[in-house]
This record gives sequence, structure tokens and C-alpha cells, in this order.
Amino acid sequence: MSTNLSLATSINTAPQAAGTIAASSRHRLSPEEHRRLARQRRLRRELTGWAFLVPMFVFFVVFLLAPVILVFWWSTQEGSLTTGTEFVGLDNFRRLPRQIDAPIAIRNTLRFTLMSIPVTLIIALGVAMLLARVGRGGSVYRFLVYFPALVPGVVAGLIWIFLTSVDFGLFNTALRSVGVDPVVWLGPKSALQVLAALDVWRSVGFWAIFFLAAIIGLPRELYQAAELDGANGWQRFHRLTLPLLRRVILFAVVVATIFGLQVFDTALILTEGGPGTATLTVVYRIWTYIFGSTDKVGYGAAMSVALLVAILILTVIQLRLLRGQRGED
Amino acid sequence: MERVLTHLALILAAVICAAPFFYVIAASLKDQGSLFHYPPVWVQIPPYTGNYERLLFDSGFPRWMLNTLFVASTVTGLKLVLDSMAGYALAKLEFTGKRVIFVLMLTLLMVPFAALLIPLWSIAHNLHITNTYLALILPPLANPLGVFLMRQFILGLPKDLENAARLEGVSEFGIYWRIILPLVKPGLVVLAVIIFTDQFMSFIWPLVATTRDDLLVLTVGVAGLRAKGGVNFGLWSAAAVMSLVPIAVFFFALQRQFLARSMAGALKQ
Repeated sequence: MSTNLSLATSINTAPQAAGTIAASSRHRLSPEEHRRLARQRRLRRELTGWAFLVPMFVFFVVFLLAPVILVFWWSTQEGSLTTGTEFVGLDNFRRLPRQIDAPIAIRNTLRFTLMSIPVTLIIALGVAMLLARVGRGGSVYRFLVYFPALVPGVVAGLIWIFLTSVDFGLFNTALRSVGVDPVVWLGPKSALQVLAALDVWRSVGFWAIFFLAAIIGLPRELYQAAELDGANGWQRFHRLTLPLLRRVILFAVVVATIFGLQVFDTALILTEGGPGTATLTVVYRIWTYIFGSTDKVGYGAAMSVALLVAILILTVIQLRLLRGQRGED
Repeated sequence: MERVLTHLALILAAVICAAPFFYVIAASLKDQGSLFHYPPVWVQIPPYTGNYERLLFDSGFPRWMLNTLFVASTVTGLKLVLDSMAGYALAKLEFTGKRVIFVLMLTLLMVPFAALLIPLWSIAHNLHITNTYLALILPPLANPLGVFLMRQFILGLPKDLENAARLEGVSEFGIYWRIILPLVKPGLVVLAVIIFTDQFMSFIWPLVATTRDDLLVLTVGVAGLRAKGGVNFGLWSAAAVMSLVPIAVFFFALQRQFLARSMAGALKQ
């Protein structure tokens, strides 16, 4: 592929070379002059490419690449952000499982992800199919369903504290109006579930539109043929839609997981990690290690490394999925 | 019949998504008496404006909103230029290391601020930009999503355009500015919407980057209402409503571009 590109670029610059040559009234270039000109041209091409890339790349290196490398260094340190640290090797990782609440944070985050993602994606897929059926007329639905995705986590948390208020919230008011006893939504056994429900409410719209775009791209002739063959709605879904959307769905699972693992702002606002440690998440724990204590920055870094590695692995999986798709084209 | 069912199901979904907002709008206009009244008062007549007054005049809310709008707009503007330039380089220009850089950016695409809090804060601290606007504006510029989006759009442009321009002697920058950019304008709008929304909702980095009262962004300030003020449903509801006004207006005006935010991922397939 690279040879084609360089061929194309040399054809690209050939007209200019031809022009220069013509302008020098058919003066034949000696080999050295030819090499010199070619080198100048290549140099200018390199500089141009880099000139356009560098502004963004500088920020990328300073604020993304460097931190990724540095966080590994930080995980071998013990101390605090501001008062200095000392090297402790891999002790942080070894001692992490015994640190207060670190395993709980990891378990909570995993449980949260397992609860919210399948529900979100299944509902989103369903909504997307309904929206595809309705077509143009569905713009109001699309607007309303998508809107929660634009709400910052903090604001969503505030809204849901109110909604789940035992005495004055919408949920219990609704329950009471049909004669059901009010529920303590944010209790120790149910807070994580409510947090997951919040996430489902926020994310369904986003993924529904995502799936909708994919569904719209599916070839219509297959469905028409299936209908002619007498396949009913469920069969069409099961045998046609699902297999065709397999890669899109897997992509959504991976990306949604990457986001799900980072859950923090909703947990902070809704329940402040509680009651107790019921909704303590990985990022929450990292944050309290760094800013809530004076010597735990190493543990925070170790958990950050774990989170980073998990996300990088998921990213690689996602890229493999993408490349496979493109390979098939 | 199937049509009716489809619409009913969609109405149900829309109601579930939208109901909390109406509830909160109504609550924002209630005083403590109505809020904590049993049996519940659905809408208070005449509406109570105290919550909004307190929010707008007694808390840092206007400043928070201003900060967020300022930061979000600045980041968006800068990124549109930076990302389109880098996207153009990756799409149409040749230089050594291009492939390595591309793969590098792709790999780190999804790395979150959350995992990088420690080194990021340390870098910001050493650059002496913590508790300044720079701390809010510069780090988000590192995200490569925009570069890929722009690259995708620019790749779709025919090569003959630039060839013709080069023959005419147009400078490389001229090609970028006067030919490529206007042609990818729809992509620029989508990117602007994505970046602006992302900045608007950003929380964890601003939380640690700026702690001075006058530099708090919207999300952090509103979180502070919860942490400092104790339970105040009326005030919180007003804060929620006011926070959502700008984004709701943008969304309504630019619906297609907003929805493209999630479609961009699907179309990449």
C-alpha cells in the first residue's frame, strides 16, 4: 500500500518537475542536480506533513501520551502528589488487595457494568427497531429518547436523588398511588441497582440512535426476500437482523463497557459512594486516594494502571473487531 | 395494528425518558411547603420563583455557567483547527512516522481522564497552570477523536482537487484553508457538536484542575450544591433546569448534528 501512495505522490509532483525542467529551456539535469532537487522536494513534503500534524500532536504527547507513561511510574511510588514520594517498586500492587475498599470498588464497578450494559443495549436495540419502523415521523421520539444522553452525570444524579426520595420522590409517589408500599431506593442492598438504572436511563437514547444508523444501513432487499418467503417478524429479527448487526452490537458492548468502567460522577452525587460502600467505584476510590488522604497516591496510581490496562485491552479488542469488518468489505 | 403498537411502545419509551424532566421543572417552581406536602402537589399555582432567585443571585451558578460556556467554546474552536489540520496531514500528506503516529493515536483513543488524574495533575501543577483557565482548556486538546473524524471526512475528497490546486501553485496551507475546509464543513459541525457536548458534561478533570470558586465549571459547581447545602430539592431542580437550558436549545436547533454524534460511530463501520 505504501508503494502505491509514493507512486501517486511522485506522479503528483511530476507535473511541477516537468514545469521546472521545461522552464530551464530543456536543460538536462545532471544526476547530482536531480538528486538534490528530489531531496529538497522530499524534505519539503516531510516538513509540510509535520507542520500540519505537530500543533495537535504536541498536546497529544504532553497531555495524553506522557501521562499514560507516567502513571506507570507513579504506581511504583508511595507518598502524595504535593509532598513528594519515594520508590517502593511493585509493593502498591501487592498490597492493593488488602487496602480498605479497593476490592469492593472493583467488585462494585464490575457488577454495575454487568447490570447496566446488557439492559441498556437490549432496550436500545428494541427502541432502534421501533424507530426504524416509524421512519420520518419519529423525530419527536428521537428527540425525547436521546435527551437524557445530554444531561451531565452530576445533573442526572441530582434529578434522581429527588426522584428516589422516599417520601417525596416521583417513584414512591407513583407506587403509593397504585397502593404499593414505598421503597427505600437508595438502601445498601439496592443503591447499586438504582445507579445502574440511572445509567440505563441516560444511555439508552445514545445507543438507540447508534443502532438506528446501523439498521438503516442494512440492505432492504434481504428483508423483502425474507417476507416473500413467509418469514414473520421474529424470524426476520432472529435470522437476519441479529447476524447482520453482530459486529455493530459487539462494538457497542466494548465501547459501552469502556465507559461503564469509568462510572464516577453519578455515584458521587447520587449516594456519595454509599450507603457505606455500596456504590463505591474504581474511579471514586482513585479520587479519594489522591485527594482524600496524604500518602495513598501510589495506591491510586496502581488502581489507575489497572483501569488503564483494562481499557487498553478492550480498545485492542474493539480495533480488532473494526479491522475484521473492514477486511470483509 | 402493528403501527399502533409501535407508536405505543415508543410513547412509553419517550415518557420514561422525559417524565423526570417535567417532574423536575414543576419542582423547581415549588416552595418548601408544596415540595414536602402530602398528598403531593403536582403544580404550584402561582409558581414560586425563589429557587431560581436563589440560584441566580445567591450561588455561583452564573459564574459556573459562564466558565463552562467559555471553556467549551474555546476548546471547540481550537480543536476544530488543530484536528482538521492533523486530520488533513494523516489523510492526504506523506511523512515519516505517519503510520506509527496513527496507530499510537488509535490505541490511546479511549483512554479516559480518570485513569490519568495523577500524572495529569502533576504535569499541570509543574506547568503552573492549575487553577487557571489553561488547565481546563489545554488537556482536552489531546483527545484524538477529532483527528480521526476529520481524517475520515477528508479521505473522501477526490485527489484531483488538490492536484489541480498544486499545479496552480497554491500553497499547502492555502489548499487546506480554501479547498479542504469548506468541503468538510458538515464534518466540522458534527465535530463541534461532539466536542462542545463533551466539554459541557466533563466533570472529573475540572473537579481536580480548578478549585477556586471563580473558576469552577458548571458540573463541579452544581456538585457542590449537593455537597455543601444539604437537601434542597427546589434549588437542585432549578439548578438542573438551568443547566440544561443551553444544551436543550442547541440540541433543538442542531438535532441532526447531535444525532450524528452517535451515528458517527456506526457509520465508521
